[in-house]
Amino acid sequence: MKRVYFVLLVVGLSLICFGCNEEKAKEKAEFKVAMVTDVGGVNDQSFNQSAWEGLQKAKEGLKVDVSYIESKQDADYQSNLETLLDAQNDIIWAIGFKMADIVMQVATQNPEQKYGIIDFTYGKEVPDNIVCVMFKEQEASFLTGFIAAKMSKTRTIGFVGGMDVPVIHRFKFGFLAGAKYADPSIEILSQYAASFSDAAKGKAIANQMYKNGADVVMHAAGGVGDGVIEAAKEKNKMAIGVDRDQNDLAPENVITSSMKKVGSAIYKVTESFTKGEWQGGKTVVYGIKEGGVDIAPTTSNLVPAEILSEVENLKKEIVAGNIVTPASEEDYNKFLESL
Amino acid sequence: MVFLRKFKNMVENNPKLFPFISILIGLVSGGVVLLISGYNPFEAYRIILWGIFGKISYFSYTIVKSTPIILTGLSVTFAFRTGLFNIGAEGQFIMGTIVAAIFGSLFQMPFYLHIPFIILLTIIITGIFGAVIGFLKANYGVHEVISSIMMNWIALYLRNYFVRLSWLAKPNSEQTKSIFDSAVITFFDNFKMSKEGILWLSGHPICKGILRAPTNAGIFIAILAVIFVYFILNKTTLGYRLKAVGFNSDSARFGGIDVNKSFVTSMFISGALAGLAGALQVMAVSHNISILSMMEGYGFDGIAVALIGGCSAVGNLWAGLFFGALKYGGTKLQPLMGAPFEIINIVMGVIVFFVAMPKIIPFIFSIFEKKGEKNVR
Amino acid sequence: MLDNVALILGTTFMYATPLVYSALAGVVSEKSGVINLGLEGMMVIGAFIGATCGFYFGSPFLAFVCAGIAGGLMGLLHAVACVSFSANQVISGVALNFIGPGLALFLSRIFFNGATTTPSISLTNKMPRVLSGLFPESSFFYYIFDNMYATTYIALFFVILIWYVFNKTVIGLRLIAVGEHPVAAQTVGINVVKIRYCAVTISGVLAGFGGASLSLAIVSNFRPTLVSGQGFIALAAMIFGKWKPFGALWACLLFGFAQALVIFLGQFHQLHLPMDLLSMLPYVLTIVILIYFVGKAVAPSADGIPFEKEQKI
Repeated sequence: MKRVYFVLLVVGLSLICFGCNEEKAKEKAEFKVAMVTDVGGVNDQSFNQSAWEGLQKAKEGLKVDVSYIESKQDADYQSNLETLLDAQNDIIWAIGFKMADIVMQVATQNPEQKYGIIDFTYGKEVPDNIVCVMFKEQEASFLTGFIAAKMSKTRTIGFVGGMDVPVIHRFKFGFLAGAKYADPSIEILSQYAASFSDAAKGKAIANQMYKNGADVVMHAAGGVGDGVIEAAKEKNKMAIGVDRDQNDLAPENVITSSMKKVGSAIYKVTESFTKGEWQGGKTVVYGIKEGGVDIAPTTSNLVPAEILSEVENLKKEIVAGNIVTPASEEDYNKFLESL
Repeated sequence: MVFLRKFKNMVENNPKLFPFISILIGLVSGGVVLLISGYNPFEAYRIILWGIFGKISYFSYTIVKSTPIILTGLSVTFAFRTGLFNIGAEGQFIMGTIVAAIFGSLFQMPFYLHIPFIILLTIIITGIFGAVIGFLKANYGVHEVISSIMMNWIALYLRNYFVRLSWLAKPNSEQTKSIFDSAVITFFDNFKMSKEGILWLSGHPICKGILRAPTNAGIFIAILAVIFVYFILNKTTLGYRLKAVGFNSDSARFGGIDVNKSFVTSMFISGALAGLAGALQVMAVSHNISILSMMEGYGFDGIAVALIGGCSAVGNLWAGLFFGALKYGGTKLQPLMGAPFEIINIVMGVIVFFVAMPKIIPFIFSIFEKKGEKNVR
Repeated sequence: MLDNVALILGTTFMYATPLVYSALAGVVSEKSGVINLGLEGMMVIGAFIGATCGFYFGSPFLAFVCAGIAGGLMGLLHAVACVSFSANQVISGVALNFIGPGLALFLSRIFFNGATTTPSISLTNKMPRVLSGLFPESSFFYYIFDNMYATTYIALFFVILIWYVFNKTVIGLRLIAVGEHPVAAQTVGINVVKIRYCAVTISGVLAGFGGASLSLAIVSNFRPTLVSGQGFIALAAMIFGKWKPFGALWACLLFGFAQALVIFLGQFHQLHLPMDLLSMLPYVLTIVILIYFVGKAVAPSADGIPFEKEQKI
């Protein structure tokens, strides 16, 4: 028996030694950039996917080496960041505010390593080796809300949120404000699913909204949104997608999407880094002006041109600062008073 | 051939070797899947091994990652040995995280009081949460599998409810406030972050390697728990009683054992173990809890760990380390060679699958023997 | 008011359909004496294969059958382990829950160029809603039947079929005999191994259907979070339904009803119900009903016990 253990031990150790051969050093591109996804995974049809698409674009356009690592649990964030640190990347992107504390921690411990974090800012105390990227989701949602109100024939629209949390609030109150801006008398139904995965729930909620008279429903609810769009497809109503252009899910029904172009923001920061300008220590905010958020390019398929030209005017107003889109319930109430 | 026969005799006479054979089969199957899909399996396993042992920090990560699943595995093991299938370790884990997040961030006290205080509360609260399952089974005949599945979801929604409560939530986030330093069991947590700490560590690479992971006291608590479970199950009359119920509840009842009470006791201990895993995870690694959009799988991984470990306390420790290592090492597959992480789940599944049927091993040998005979002819 | 009731009923059926398939899968397997804990894994495979075949072949029913076959293969794997090699059935089921999702995501990455979400199937190529056109829009029956796909009716058909087989046919009686007392069954000449193989494989087929009824009817694509725990809910529904096909149906409908109620109540903001707490309702309700209205559930007596051919009485 002991001999068996010994043999196993020897085999194991020799495998380890075999494994401990030096890491292969690949020197292809000038820079290496990598990202850690949050628990949604790289194919979440949302901001992780968008981020990865941005990096892939950077690989072609900027000649940088790119890679990603997926997190399966919240506990994976730190180890994944460390793994990328060991792989000697020039910039490590953390996709999602859930990594905020951890990024701060590893950035303090490794002052030479450059990090980027999406959807979070440390306010005035951003260390020099971190760049924070924030998005004004509410600006794009404001436009989709405007379109929804203009497109609705029943004067009733709906919003399905994943969970009652700040990032969803930015979509929700932007959407609500846009709709009220277009038509102060419009009725808005809204409901949270308390889930980001239960598609059946999204479908049932959307069905309920359509039954109650809504004919346009926007979602900001991840996998739940699949159900929302499915309901629109079956009932031949209108739906509004989120994060990316979701028109492919139902080409006849998804009239527009509130896009959050994480990828292009990452591309831009990476681009300026390769040119020698590192934007560390700063919080970069991407709104309509900077091209970080927008409505989907397929909007023109289903939305008439006159509404689109109004939307273009609205964009100019937002860029000029004449309209301040609300990101929270408080701001939204103020916005309503100002109307 | 002689070697094969010797090997066969050796394996068949030592049932303890079966899990090792299963692991071998699992790794080979994973390799085959990788090969079919166009990845080099040797490269993949080299990366995994390098990812586990390549650096000191990797090894400390492996330990950190293993700690919670050793404990959830222990929870499942304990229930299994006493005749209950605790599929609810997931929910009890979540309850443990809630308890630690609340009591870690609400009060501040000296660490030598705070840490035991949280651990004690976790044991009581998650123990009761688990004991409910046993109570329902004992008094109302509710099957523990149903109630524990339902409890998993209840715990998940409860956590999401708590995370958003104003007195606990960190403003403008989906997280709770961080727990106080006095409740943190990560080693040198503040020192690591301080200027002097960073300077000192850069001069001491070994210490830096060890401390790069959130190295913490959790593993020692887990080992204590392993000893505790071993002791209860094998050295006490309580353990004897619980096991008797697990072995055959009717004859145990006939023999004068209060079967209902033993269900409750057993689930209390099982729940407390899984809850402890959750609490330690908060105190050591995350320091707060955030919204869960789905179950994280610590409880389900625990089931696999318990089964690979042969449902013994000590076997559980090794199985937990093995599983934790594989999961941690597996994360390096994607960035280094582009192979999907899911291969680890397949390998794990195959290992558990073969652990389930020790009888297949003589069968496999008989196939080899037949082939061998043909060759001889 | 009445149309709200109708909508709740419609949602109930929508929610219950995948659960009914999988709960039936559990019933068939466990009645023959093999615990099937791998329902979740089989559902994930079924959902993935259903969505993939639906996308490539364009025929929902063909895709549905493919999903059944894929689930059946998983069932066969379980049968080989549990029947031929006397495996611990719980452990084997747990293994399938790792292998199923692992394999589905792995294959998805290979088929769809690294993506784990399959492309959406167009409305004409997904499961038809057989009775939805019969009623005028906004009528009571419209809201009930509008969400009922062919899969819902097939599920109800399977409930009746399995009830019939169990209660009125020789095969069904044999299957139950095998699950209750395999040794006695063998002595009267029943081929225990064959029956268990068939039952577990059919169980896999049904669970595969369950998964496909999610990805081909409720939505029209697969994503990794699509099934998220429904296999376990089905398992609970099966026990809740006392290992009977109609019992399982009622249990699934109850669960679906509770979910529909959550959605209905969630629209009233004036109630100030936190959605997280409200969402616990189906799970709490299940436990409460089990305590007060359903007595002790008894599994088939040989459930979980491996059968050995050589075993003598």
